[in-house]
Amino acid sequence: MFSYKFQWNQAFARLPQMLDGALITMQIAILSMVLGILLAIVLTVFRRSGSRVLSGIATSWVEIARNTPALFQIYMAHFGVATFGIHFNPFTSLLIGITFNNAGYLAENFRGALKAIPETQTRAGRSLGMTSNQAFGYIMLPQMLRIAFLPMTNQMVWAILMTSLGVTVGMSTDLYGVTQALNALTFRTFELFALAGVVFYVIVKLIQFAARLIAMRLFRY
Amino acid sequence: MKHWNALAAIAVAVACLSTPAHADKLDDIISSGTLRCAVVLDFPPMGSRDADNNPIGFDVDYCNDLAKALGVTAEIVETPFPERIPALMSGQVDVGVASTSDTLERAKTVGFSVPYFAFEMVVTASDKSGIKSFDDMKGKTVGATAGTFEAIALEKQVTEWGAGEFRPYQTQADVFLALSQGQLDATVSTSTVAQANVKTGNYPGIAVVGKAPFDIDYVALFTNRDEYGFINYLNLFVNQQVRTGRYAELFEKWVGGEVPSLTVPNAYR
Amino acid sequence: MFDTALTSSDFLFLARGAGMTLLVTAISVVLGTCLGIACGIFRFQVGPWWAAPMTFLLDIFRSIPLLIQLVLVNAFLGMVLKLKISGFSVACGVLTLYTAAYCAEIVRGAIEAVPGTTRRAARSLGLTWWQDMTSIVLPLATRVALPSWIGLALGVMKDSALVYIVQVTELLKATQILITRLQEPLLLLMICGLFYFVISFPLARLGGYLERRWSND
Repeated sequence: MFSYKFQWNQAFARLPQMLDGALITMQIAILSMVLGILLAIVLTVFRRSGSRVLSGIATSWVEIARNTPALFQIYMAHFGVATFGIHFNPFTSLLIGITFNNAGYLAENFRGALKAIPETQTRAGRSLGMTSNQAFGYIMLPQMLRIAFLPMTNQMVWAILMTSLGVTVGMSTDLYGVTQALNALTFRTFELFALAGVVFYVIVKLIQFAARLIAMRLFRY
Repeated sequence: MKHWNALAAIAVAVACLSTPAHADKLDDIISSGTLRCAVVLDFPPMGSRDADNNPIGFDVDYCNDLAKALGVTAEIVETPFPERIPALMSGQVDVGVASTSDTLERAKTVGFSVPYFAFEMVVTASDKSGIKSFDDMKGKTVGATAGTFEAIALEKQVTEWGAGEFRPYQTQADVFLALSQGQLDATVSTSTVAQANVKTGNYPGIAVVGKAPFDIDYVALFTNRDEYGFINYLNLFVNQQVRTGRYAELFEKWVGGEVPSLTVPNAYR
Repeated sequence: MFDTALTSSDFLFLARGAGMTLLVTAISVVLGTCLGIACGIFRFQVGPWWAAPMTFLLDIFRSIPLLIQLVLVNAFLGMVLKLKISGFSVACGVLTLYTAAYCAEIVRGAIEAVPGTTRRAARSLGLTWWQDMTSIVLPLATRVALPSWIGLALGVMKDSALVYIVQVTELLKATQILITRLQEPLLLLMICGLFYFVISFPLARLGGYLERRWSND
């Protein structure tokens, strides 16, 4: 039926190289998530701080991250900031771009999550003698992270998918970069990218499965 | 019953669509009246854009000449380096006039004409890096355009050296941008492109420092592997361009200097 | 910084790119939403078991990078089936399915959010399935779905920056072309980013406002 001759063995022969790339992809996604969550907590604190400057910084960060394309943010982290003589290698540029994006989206999720926690709890904490920081750290924060668990899982999936944008800043060791380099050598475009797609799919499903296991522990009562 | 009729109609339609057409590509191009060329437009002087963002360059003129010979109008389709051959394979373009090296690996997928241009490879380095020759690049951060002849050779070299870092960028422009910003210490590119980019003055602080010991990079037009009729036509066209002096004329217009020979001594093509 | 070589024809070039971004987005969001609503209702009506094949297919669009989807569909249509399809059509087609995949989830969630008792009450008053869907479920589910849908539409606009891979010159690609010629990366990138922001920010705010307003009652 097809006049095109598939050469799947060409793609499968390169699977080990692609799996090495998949490890780098996971590494970037996990790092960007950890850093993103920490930064998002900082941004959330900034936004609640009441200080004009701090909440201004946090709000601009969140709005820029949410209202411009991720590809734009990554390109900016490499070629944009270099105008000021600041140089990041492709790995770092990609990591900064995705972390910036993660932090912005997560900060917004955290804000939504905080709204779901009754204000009375903070007051209860304060009346038990906690400082306002203690009340936030011991009462609000853990609940916030739990409520925002599902959005955090989604963001993790997006972080994996976003690593594919690294090629635009010279990244060649992640899964997409490796696939593209192999494509330039052999031009078996369909076979190589189909295999890469399957690897991405498996990674995403593994993450969602792991998240479900964690959720079972988190929400068992 | 009605459903079965509909299904049968769909099946027939699918069968028609998936049956390869038997008119050959040369016929298709002539009857459609347009020749769609894949050209890389961030690769001066071979392809770039003028102040009104219209495509210009050696490859653009070459495509126009080819269209004129065929009696059709040319349509320039901009393709980044890594997308040249996928653009052809997916039917977005009819022919690549895109400074494409005729490697054996690629010839397994596409059909090449005889070479229509030849490049020498040179090293371009930023002044700050202190690189003065090809061997100085050992241990430095170097880059090239993903998917090109020189990128593949340079990446191999960096692996052999076992020191330094290789970065493939998506476009030639990104490579020179990164080089002038100081993100890269040096790059290997074709001499014509390096000279043209340095000459524009867009990229301060970079200079061509020497030759790279890679083979001469013969580049060819390419189309689908099984389109012998069209490949024959392309071969004759390249020959005619040289014969009529048009090749030398275009070379003088866009590059200047000694016209490179397109034949390999002591070998038939 | 305002000492620039940017000419009015360059702005026109950027504007054409922006127009392409908006056109691709509009086509994909309209078609994708229609398809997504159909899939979402189907998923709700037949239940998770019978809809599993469809859910699986749609889930693929949410589990592999958009870049790979574009490359694969382009390669499949062109290399394997040898159809002559423009990059623009491929871009719209893939983004439509991408939109539909997310939209179906939003629609399903929204319909599930309508209490079953309300719907049974409607049906016992003699409303047909169609009447129940249009005059009970539609207004209630829209309140749940609209804010997420606005987010989705804006997401598709931002993700449309990736269609450069199938030779469509949209805004970000147009910006890169100008950077090549003018070597003013920062200024050009800021103009490009500002455009996305100006379109996206007010609409995102509207979505947030609707969400707050409608969730309070």
